[in-house]
Amino acid sequence: MMHDDDDMNTALMVDGNAVAGELQQIFGRDMTMAVARCSSCAADSALGALMAFVRGPGVVLRCPACETAIVRIVETASARYIDARGALYMRLEL
Amino acid sequence: MQPPQLEWQVAKVTAIRPETPQTKSFTLALPRWMAHQPGQHYDVRLTAPDGYRTERSYSVASEPERAGEIDLTVERIADGEVSSYLHDVLMTGDQLEVRGPVGGYFVWDIALGGPLMLIGGGSGVVPLMAMLRHRAARRSTIPARLLYSSRTQDDVIYKSELEAMARSDRELGIAYTFTRQAPSGWIGYHRRIDSAMLEEVMRPLGADIRTYVCGPTLLVEAVASTLVRMGLPAERIRTERFGPTGN
Amino acid sequence: MISRGFLGRRRPAEVEKRLPPGQYLVTDFPVLSAGPTPHTPLDRWSFTLEGLVKSPMSWTWEEFRRLPSQTFTVDISCVTKWTKLDTTWIAVSVDTLLKAVQLDPSARYVMAFSDGGYTTNIPLAEMVNGQAFVAYQFGDKDLAPEHGGPARLVVPHLYFWKSAKWVRGLRFMDRDQPGFWESLGYNMHGDPWKEERYSGD
Repeated sequence: MMHDDDDMNTALMVDGNAVAGELQQIFGRDMTMAVARCSSCAADSALGALMAFVRGPGVVLRCPACETAIVRIVETASARYIDARGALYMRLEL
Repeated sequence: MQPPQLEWQVAKVTAIRPETPQTKSFTLALPRWMAHQPGQHYDVRLTAPDGYRTERSYSVASEPERAGEIDLTVERIADGEVSSYLHDVLMTGDQLEVRGPVGGYFVWDIALGGPLMLIGGGSGVVPLMAMLRHRAARRSTIPARLLYSSRTQDDVIYKSELEAMARSDRELGIAYTFTRQAPSGWIGYHRRIDSAMLEEVMRPLGADIRTYVCGPTLLVEAVASTLVRMGLPAERIRTERFGPTGN
Repeated sequence: MISRGFLGRRRPAEVEKRLPPGQYLVTDFPVLSAGPTPHTPLDRWSFTLEGLVKSPMSWTWEEFRRLPSQTFTVDISCVTKWTKLDTTWIAVSVDTLLKAVQLDPSARYVMAFSDGGYTTNIPLAEMVNGQAFVAYQFGDKDLAPEHGGPARLVVPHLYFWKSAKWVRGLRFMDRDQPGFWESLGYNMHGDPWKEERYSGD
């Protein structure tokens, strides 16, 4: 998805590579190569290629084709919350 | 093969080297070093006396063939909390808490083969340099090109090393483009990366190219969509967005 | 381990008492978001009050800009720990908007909703009497898209995730429901002075 903006919000957007460490801590293995199928538009994307918003209260990984939130992660003082309902599934190579 | 569970470890800074006015390379000796894949990064964590913590990720600049230590090349971001500390406070002999290596998507090694096209903007060249240093360390003849976009020639990281690599390696070509001021007498590219430039640089590589694009988000998005429009299959293009560039 | 010489963020003494617990002062305006900047053209923009109201009300951009506006100067605190003092906004008070509808007596909570799907929940009693406004100007400039323009909700007495960027309306409810961050571990209320950051705080 192309963004013509020069605004800081777009510039600050990174991709799933930026949260590779956190994902690996959660799932116990590298997840940037895992493929998620978007529940909204059915596009397949590697987690490393998802749009990532990492500077707010939590991390939001979005489909690069339709911008739907695929994964959301929040780390509070005592727990980590993960919502992956935005993915129909995640596929991990053995 | 699954990487082991990621844990923080305390590295020792053994060398600090300025690369450009805005970037420095830090050599870290790791007690639990493991060979990384070129393109992977480490997370760096700083802790203040009151317990306040903050983390950033930095791509490994060095090749995995250099055992026991890694180089991180860091650009100083204005008001950057961590980059200012690394540039202005950290000294050789200091400790730095790191975790890694991390990432499996934006990686390349010679086992993946080529031809290899690397496109970097600003500090986006760092993980690409790890790929080129690894390729050189293994004396690989996989055809490769680097297209490196910088604001001015003062911003070109690893300039003399890249020039030496290109001189001594017939299968490697490096093209530079400058988006602000080009060196005087420059007859090369002097504009943002576009399809004409990509086409010229990539043409000698033929077909089935593996492409890696890294740098500020806006550059990566523009280049990746241009490559797709040029007909490159999306699954042969890997991207890593660094967020906004320092100014 | 402690990183030698790393001091983190400083708190100048004179502003100490204005900072809620656990917060540090910033003088810039950090950009934080959960999604890309939406770009609804102004001729398609509308602001709607719906849900437990006698009949829903909607304003176009032109109609919205003709509503009486005020200047608000407030401190804002983000749950990511930065606080910015004395921010100035030009905005339409939620009180002004509520004059245009008849709320159902059972309406006690509000869900603010935005372009891009973001939502956040606030008690109705904390949106009235000057406690909340819909702002379209920050300082002396039109509200920038990266900061929520053309218009955002501002509820300064709660953590700033409740001040929904790119806001498009308010839905009135009889029960509290969790919005985007509240459904993933953040506090339903979010009072910075009580450090209500996470659920269970």
